[in-house]
Amino acid sequence: MKRLLYFIAAVALIGGAVGYYLWNKPHENMETAKTDLAIQANVLFDEYNADETAANAKYLDKTIAVTGKVKESSTAEDGTAKVNLDTGSDFGVLCELDPLSKHDRTTFTEGETVTFKGICTGLNFDVQLTRCVEVK
Amino acid sequence: MRIILLSIMLLLGAAHVSAQKYFTRDAKVKFFSDASLEKIEAVNKSGTGILDVSTGQMEWKVLIKGFLFEKALMQEHFNENYMESSKYPDASFKGSIANLNEVNLGKDGRYKATVKGKMKIHGVEKDLEATGTITVKQGSIAIHSDFTVACSDFNIKIEAAKVANIANEIKVTLDATLQPLKK
Repeated sequence: MKRLLYFIAAVALIGGAVGYYLWNKPHENMETAKTDLAIQANVLFDEYNADETAANAKYLDKTIAVTGKVKESSTAEDGTAKVNLDTGSDFGVLCELDPLSKHDRTTFTEGETVTFKGICTGLNFDVQLTRCVEVK
Repeated sequence: MRIILLSIMLLLGAAHVSAQKYFTRDAKVKFFSDASLEKIEAVNKSGTGILDVSTGQMEWKVLIKGFLFEKALMQEHFNENYMESSKYPDASFKGSIANLNEVNLGKDGRYKATVKGKMKIHGVEKDLEATGTITVKQGSIAIHSDFTVACSDFNIKIEAAKVANIANEIKVTLDATLQPLKK
């Protein structure tokens, strides 16, 4: 009987611990996150503009490394830094830097070639990537 | 000579047309669910907005997977169980300023505006009316609005077991500053 009580207590404890862990599960660490694929900014942008549904099937929610030339680098009053990568069009690949990661730098020079790793969230004029970190 | 004049006129005309549109890719969309057991908040800072100052028409769009939550698990459930964001990757609003006679988008000032249009969330389109303020200042247009959307209006199902955790009425805040659209 005692043994059964111990067993129930142990199960409850493990269950509680698993629940607690899941509840507090941290966001993925973007610096160590595995890159699903690497692509040039203009190729990604062109694929999205040719067929958004097909591009979403390929890239949406994937961790991708995008390389391109900096068109615009900006930091908002609240500290949110964004870099728009040139695609040769009016719109680009907009990378929003990860608020949870440490960044060596958050401003970038127009024209320099950079690679960002981030999670693709889809097409909204620009192709958007969230939680980006620079890849060197 | 005539061709040059004509080209100049066309160019000026084009510049005039594009100057009537204001755009942002930095619109901040926040939402807040205030249920009895739990408060949930998420923000997306990369919403887009386009406003035609001559007609008062506007369009907003935000990508669902770009909403960041404090807790990873909530973000996962939001995307997978409620918004089905792989199937419906964005939410959008198309409408226009209903009281354009009281809002002078060409003159610096702070105006109260009512916007009417169609909101599309989770693949479902609904009429929506929202009020807010429009502040015109030195060539930029700042827009702030608070409004409420009901999950049930957009076919977003909250299981009976989660009713105490997730509110049906979601408070949404929009903050954006639009600049003349450069081409």
